[in-house]
Amino acid sequence: MDRAEEVNAAEGGPLFALRGVGKTYGEGATAVHALIDVNLDIVPGELIVLLGPSGSGKSTLLNILGGLDRPSAGEVLFRGASLTTLNDSGLTQFRRKHVGFIFQFYNLIPSLTARENVELVGEITDDPLDAAEALELVGLAKRLDHFPSQLSGGEQQRVAVARAIAKRPAVLLCDEPTGALDVKTGVRVLEALQEVNERYGSTTLIVTHNADVARMGARVIRFGDGRVRSVEVNADRAAPSQLVW
Amino acid sequence: MRALDKKLLRDVWRMRLHAAGVALVLGCGLSILVMAVGMRGSMERTRTAYYAERNMADLAVSLVRAPDRVAHQLAEAPGVQAVEARISGVALLDLPDVEQPPSARLVSLPRDGRPLVNDLTLARGRWPDPARANEIILSQAFADANRIEPGDTLAATMYGRRQTLHVVGIANSPEFVFVAAPGELFRQADRFGVIWMGREALARAYDLDGAFNDAVFTLGRNANPSETIAAIDRILAPYGSTGAYGRDRMISDRFLSEELRQLSTMATFIPALFLITAAFLVNIAMSRVIATERSNIGLLKAFGYSDAAVAWHYAKSALIFAAIGAFLGSAAGVALGRAVADLYREYYHFPRLDFSASPATFIGAWAAGFAAALAGCLVSVLRAARLAPAAALTPPRPTAFFSEGGGVAEFAAKLDAKSRIIMRRIARFPRRAGTTSLGVAFAIALLVVARTFPAEMDYLLDVNFGVANRQDVTLTFAEARDQAVLHQVERLPGVLYAEPFRVDDIVLRHNGRTVHEAVFGVPPAARLSRVVGANQTPIPPPISGIALARALAQKLDARPGDEIRVEQTRGQRIATTVRVSTIVDPMIGSSAYMELGALSRLLREPGRISGAHLMMDPAHMTTFNRRIKQIPVIAGASYVGQAEASMRQEFDEGVGVMNFIYAAFAAIMAGGVAFSAARITLAEQERDLATLRVLGFTRAEVSYILIGELMALALIAAPAGIAFGTLLAIWLMQLFQTDMYAFPFVFNPGGYAFAVTFTLVCVAAAALVVRMGIDKLDMIGVLKARD
Repeated sequence: MDRAEEVNAAEGGPLFALRGVGKTYGEGATAVHALIDVNLDIVPGELIVLLGPSGSGKSTLLNILGGLDRPSAGEVLFRGASLTTLNDSGLTQFRRKHVGFIFQFYNLIPSLTARENVELVGEITDDPLDAAEALELVGLAKRLDHFPSQLSGGEQQRVAVARAIAKRPAVLLCDEPTGALDVKTGVRVLEALQEVNERYGSTTLIVTHNADVARMGARVIRFGDGRVRSVEVNADRAAPSQLVW
Repeated sequence: MRALDKKLLRDVWRMRLHAAGVALVLGCGLSILVMAVGMRGSMERTRTAYYAERNMADLAVSLVRAPDRVAHQLAEAPGVQAVEARISGVALLDLPDVEQPPSARLVSLPRDGRPLVNDLTLARGRWPDPARANEIILSQAFADANRIEPGDTLAATMYGRRQTLHVVGIANSPEFVFVAAPGELFRQADRFGVIWMGREALARAYDLDGAFNDAVFTLGRNANPSETIAAIDRILAPYGSTGAYGRDRMISDRFLSEELRQLSTMATFIPALFLITAAFLVNIAMSRVIATERSNIGLLKAFGYSDAAVAWHYAKSALIFAAIGAFLGSAAGVALGRAVADLYREYYHFPRLDFSASPATFIGAWAAGFAAALAGCLVSVLRAARLAPAAALTPPRPTAFFSEGGGVAEFAAKLDAKSRIIMRRIARFPRRAGTTSLGVAFAIALLVVARTFPAEMDYLLDVNFGVANRQDVTLTFAEARDQAVLHQVERLPGVLYAEPFRVDDIVLRHNGRTVHEAVFGVPPAARLSRVVGANQTPIPPPISGIALARALAQKLDARPGDEIRVEQTRGQRIATTVRVSTIVDPMIGSSAYMELGALSRLLREPGRISGAHLMMDPAHMTTFNRRIKQIPVIAGASYVGQAEASMRQEFDEGVGVMNFIYAAFAAIMAGGVAFSAARITLAEQERDLATLRVLGFTRAEVSYILIGELMALALIAAPAGIAFGTLLAIWLMQLFQTDMYAFPFVFNPGGYAFAVTFTLVCVAAAALVVRMGIDKLDMIGVLKARD
């Protein structure tokens, strides 16, 4: 994939290209169509918000882009190379090299401090960010040696952001990153995400059912019943501090 | 069925793998308990029934010669129920197809009818015809070992006279359940047997017409044994009696008692290890159950179930684990017991020995199983009972971890993050980590113990045959002879070197204590049979005074420098005092030793010897064997080198079976504990491990966290297991130590290496099985799931 990547990047092609992607769970009468015929190009450095109610297919798309799941139909290209044909360890390597995940419930390792949670990812990356630097970026310079149980929810999520960016990922996938947080802390997390997106140019996809969050995205992709309902380019992006929900 | 009971059964089904672990560990322990306690009871009952049926002697005495009329006096002695006055001797046998002549104990049968005391059970053939002097009955173990059947003939040299004997019967006697040649402490079924024959023929051979030299007694119900012994000793004093004695000095009964004692030890220590481990396993499993059932507990209480009802509900699942274990243990115990009974029956030739465990044994085993399970679940169940309904319905607080201080922090900083996760979890859950380590340590200890026995036995044989008794053959004369006979022995074909010795039965007295023992006269420059001093090194016999084996010195409460009284039990019955010069450490036996010349001077028989130890040229063994069968003076030939080989073989076979059983037990113990711990680690860390997979960690990297924790705990357990196993082995060897065997501690690095390696492999295997769960981690589910 590496050669193709270089060629593709040099040509300024899309980071992800989705062609007729569908996902069906189950068979026959009980089959659930989670995604239907999704065609999408995602360019490097974009901040995209995927918006839609529960079960609309946005998380399924995130899972497929993150190499956690395979589409039932269509093809997903990452820098021009197909993700669909990769086996389990190929997908693991893809996640390891290129993807940063941010979960709704933070998913920090409780037995490691904030700094160690970030360093953990550094151990499997060739050129990681310094853990302290990553934590400083998300405003946690003074909480380096605290364990998750000693941090608030917002702080934990910012550690998760730092952990995700420490490997300098090509793409940051955030699944309801503010879903478990109040407005004030949620805003701080979104600020951190925007900061990372701007400073490192990581393509960022934020899945949310919160319409207000969509105002910060460069593009907003609305989902409904497994289909892409609309794709809007946001000419007048709001800063996270302007968001209210 | 009540809804709650349905829930209970489903809970148990969900925990079936934990239940299986607990049940297996418990089953192992209880099977040994049932087997050992049941076997002990069965042996005890068999022995009692056998002794009662065949009138096993309560007392015995040997003497030089007493006229038959004295037997009537003995029958009148207080407490005596029946007396059998017999002629007894030892003979060298000449079997047609056996090159090396074995020996036999000869015992006379009464003139008319069967023995009133120590009666025989005929296995094959018939009783001898009193009219035919040469008809004999042979002991079954010896007959079987040498393939002798009724109708065969053999030749015996009795007191210097060679006689041809016709075997008409094969029998067993309670007196000789365990048979060993005089002075030998190991059984060699093919080398020493018992011959029962007509009294007249024996009387002629031993010059005892109208007299006897041995008597056995049964006592009446209310007899006072010491009073009877005193009366017998008074009556027999003029006839060279060595003093009457009870069953405690009858070698066969002593061996049986020893075996029973060892079964009791086994019934205690092995089940204890398993019960403790099972209790800890229950503890781990139930803590986990209660933790995951918090909201259910809250619901039950909110519905109105009492604290006691909730506690009982959860305790019942532990009791179900225990019941399965107790059932398995009972069934396996009976199967094991039957197998062991077969072995015993074959070894001891009991007329019958059926394994049966009493209801009390089973009740005890089940009670022990339930007690272990209840002890194990007590803490968690009480926690469930104490949970307030509202608190139980809120989610538990996330597990808090804290920084370690000082050196530990520095150490943690050097580790990679995955190893740090392992280290912090161990430190955070010390009780669970301790349980896992404890189980693994127990498994290692069990194997250390199992490996210590053969190492001790090897060492014992090494010392006995490599340091103490290096002769190829020991010839024993019918009675002490002039040293001149040594020249005759030296001239026998193949004899390279002959070393004289003297052995006498003596009574030693000191500080009001009395012990019957053998005293050996050893030449000052002995090369073959030597006295063993401290650290199992050979030392010359004392120039003056007497050396006592440590066990003997303890029995006499004697120390170097003490004067002890020594009385000869035969011959001129010399009684004198002699100074204890030193304490020695033969590993086998508890005899006394003197310089050969000093002993014969003390007994006023200078120059007389009892036999000779020989170093042989193997090329001439056949001619040597042929010649000694024809030399009347020789009453016994002990082939020491051959004895060593057969003993090692017998031990190795026994040890092979034992090692297998212990290894299986250790595997279950270590595997069960590791499996349980790994399953809980996986369950608790499922979310963390799935997160790591999402972040791009490979399966191997994630597996490291699971397997690494277990292996770390196993490695922590290794030194503890070795230390505990060593202490346990030392304690057990002390329990098994008798005045016949002494077991110094033997350092056995090979055994330790095996114990640790084998256990680690079992832990790794269990961890690998659980590791398969990592392949099934739900990476997508974890993205959404809350703690």
